[in-house]
Amino acid sequence: MDFTFTKKEEKFRSELRGWLEQNLPEGWLKGNRKLPEDSKLYSQFLRDWQRSLYEGGWAAIAWPKEYGGRDATLIEEIVYHQEMVRVQSPPLINYIGIHMVAPTLMQMGTVTQKEEFIEKILTGEQVWSQGYSEPSAGSDLSAIQTTAVKKDDKWVINGQKVWTSFAHVADRCFLLTKTEKSEGKHDGITVFLLDMNQPGVETVPIVQMDGHQEFNEVYLTDAIATDADVVGEVGKGWKVLIALMLHERSGIAAQVFTLEQQFNRVVEMAKAVQVCGVSLIEDPFVEDGLADLYTRINGAKLNYYRNITHTLKNGKPGPESSLDKLLVSELTKELFDFAMTIQGHAGVLMAEEALFDSDMQAQYLASFGATIGGGTSEVQRNTIGERILGLPKDLGR
Amino acid sequence: MDFALNEEQELFRTAIRKYMTDLGKTDIARSVIDGKLEVVTRVTAGFAEMGISAIPISEEQDGLGLGALDLVPVFEETGRVLLPGIQLETIALAVPLINNYGTQVQKSNLLSKVAIGESTISVAWYEQNRGLTPKSFSTIAGKTTSGYAVTGTKTLVAVLGNPDFFITGAQTAEGKSLFLIKASDVASRKILSSIDETQQIAQLTFDQAPAELLGELGEATQMLDDALLHFNAALCSSMVGGMDELVHTTTEYAKIRVQFNQPIGRFQAVKHGIVNMKLDLETARSLSYYAAWAVENDTADKQTAVHSARSFISKAYIKAAADSIQLHGGIGFTEELDVQLYLKRARYYENYFGSVRDSRKKTAHSLGWHTKSTKQTPVPVF
Ligand SMILES: Cc1cc2nc3c(=O)[nH]c(=O)nc-3n(C[C@H](O)[C@H](O)[C@H](O)COP(=O)(O)OP(=O)(O)OC[C@H]3O[C@@H](n4cnc5c(N)ncnc54)[C@H](O)[C@@H]3O)c2cc1C
Repeated sequence: MDFTFTKKEEKFRSELRGWLEQNLPEGWLKGNRKLPEDSKLYSQFLRDWQRSLYEGGWAAIAWPKEYGGRDATLIEEIVYHQEMVRVQSPPLINYIGIHMVAPTLMQMGTVTQKEEFIEKILTGEQVWSQGYSEPSAGSDLSAIQTTAVKKDDKWVINGQKVWTSFAHVADRCFLLTKTEKSEGKHDGITVFLLDMNQPGVETVPIVQMDGHQEFNEVYLTDAIATDADVVGEVGKGWKVLIALMLHERSGIAAQVFTLEQQFNRVVEMAKAVQVCGVSLIEDPFVEDGLADLYTRINGAKLNYYRNITHTLKNGKPGPESSLDKLLVSELTKELFDFAMTIQGHAGVLMAEEALFDSDMQAQYLASFGATIGGGTSEVQRNTIGERILGLPKDLGR
Repeated sequence: MDFALNEEQELFRTAIRKYMTDLGKTDIARSVIDGKLEVVTRVTAGFAEMGISAIPISEEQDGLGLGALDLVPVFEETGRVLLPGIQLETIALAVPLINNYGTQVQKSNLLSKVAIGESTISVAWYEQNRGLTPKSFSTIAGKTTSGYAVTGTKTLVAVLGNPDFFITGAQTAEGKSLFLIKASDVASRKILSSIDETQQIAQLTFDQAPAELLGELGEATQMLDDALLHFNAALCSSMVGGMDELVHTTTEYAKIRVQFNQPIGRFQAVKHGIVNMKLDLETARSLSYYAAWAVENDTADKQTAVHSARSFISKAYIKAAADSIQLHGGIGFTEELDVQLYLKRARYYENYFGSVRDSRKKTAHSLGWHTKSTKQTPVPVF
């Protein structure tokens, strides 16, 4: 066992640190981390940020060098996410493009698709969204109803997507459609790389329970795609969908370190906030609860390290890594739930009036999305029970 | 970065597992319930043969000079079958105490015998109604011409397999101190009835028992706390082994037990229940590995590592056993099924040398939560 980083890895860290100090937006490191409210300005701000990440060579470190990445090792990825979380870097507007779509295209895209999209994803010129969920197909994606029908040499697409993150700022959508009625539940599905800048695509933002508008409804009315936009084979989209979902897992490092940082923030609060001159942390109930959370959050991080070790030794991730998402998202919810409880009635105050942290109440509200997006906790438990423990499959699936 | 046991440790695990299987797994624990205690002596000999009891003992005293991480596979596998006996007390508590605080003579007299399986040692610390950290002991040590004489009554002492020595706590003018007492000098011994019948705990009475001082006078609490880091790391591994077995047996049962024309493992109430056990198991295992690593390397965060691990695992073990009983239905409530033995063992360990609450308190203190808040920087440095 060894928890140290090599000289090379530490050099990588200091290189990134140096770059961040020079290139983060004005005032960012001093704590001025407000993003523009206006949707256009917000989008521009984040596109600019991605552009500078790209110019520094820090937008997609895990990609192969031939595509403009750094061929970073798994450990370098850990270092990268530790540092990005440490400075609370602005969000990556093209998260879906960089971490999900491009790796999938590298794996199964055509030569033309690779040439046309991968570089634009890297530079931030083209922002991507993921069009899977529909009003009647969420956990069960095989129930999608959006259709793509071939007319002459074009595909005509009709239907509705929902909860589509980034769609309001996106140029392209990794779109799941039904192209034929079929026997098997997973047959007849086709993935398109849909151009969103066309009259047949209408995006309507949805207000989330935390007041933000980060996901959308997307209405498709005779939207047009071509054969060149199909990923993999027509009717064999389920394979593509699974491939992309495997890449989705790569986000776990950032979540682990973010959770750790959020926890430390709650401890700071418990030390700083006083009731009748006594810090919250001196209350045995608070101390006990936080020690429990500390242990489980640290345990989740150690689980992640154990899984990384497994991957390094075996060349591919073991099934245990699917536990990480479930643990981290559930713990995020529990952490903020407890953070609310210990603030007492003043915990209802938010933003500038908040007892300690202007963001904490919003983070509490946002935490509810974590156990729904990317597959609900219930669905994760099904997957773990069936894939890792070998328990019998749900009848419906 | 490398967070896994090494190849030798995994091979050692396989060997111990095979030995436990050859002995009939939980049959050993059940023999103890039936009063057939010879099996415990056999295990002590077997442990010595495999080199297990020599692991934490230095080469000078015929040991292997290995560390806490090498004990991880040992105690996971003994915990898996609820191995009865005082291996934990001897190897992970008495040995560190003697290693850290014993004189050269005490080390050579006591440790080489442990290494070769000729001796086991238990710790007689508790007194009735005084908890783990009493202000003072009612047991008293008085000076004699050749050493000390100890008089008083100790309780909750693990005695299965008849240890040759007890390390006991007694009051002296300087405060609470530790002493070594030969088992043959114990005035009387009463076995107490306990929820975990696969172990034996006793009340011991000393009446002017000849005793040798261990370490410095008045330092008993601090010495015990230090040695308990080793003990708790090993205890955590033992509990992880038990949890692993519970997840395994419950999963297998859910695959074969049919109700409403389907294996019960298909019902999500059952499936998700087992998955939750599995989640706790993985967290427990990570925490226990890290605790052992921290102890072995004497890291700055070893207090946090060990106490946080213990706080989680003590609780998770009880929950795993309790949930397993429920998921088995009626058969889970029977004496015949082993699951109840795991619950009783989990309960037996819960407050042994420290409670969940104690461990959390220690975690909080070791993390500096009760020291004055330092200045905050907008961007923390790792
Ligand atoms: C913040 C956020 C961002 C998102 N971004 C995107 C995006 O960019 N693109 C996209 O396509 N989608 C996105 N989603 C949608 C997300 O993938 C779905 O919400 C999720 O898969 C659940 O589907 P649903 O909302 O239809 O709920 P349902 O599937 O209707 O689930 C309702 C409840 O039933 C439970 N349930 C369903 N099936 C089972 C089962 N088999 N066993 C046990 N319980 C079950 C669920 O766990 C849940 O509790 C996002 C969601 C969130 C919250």
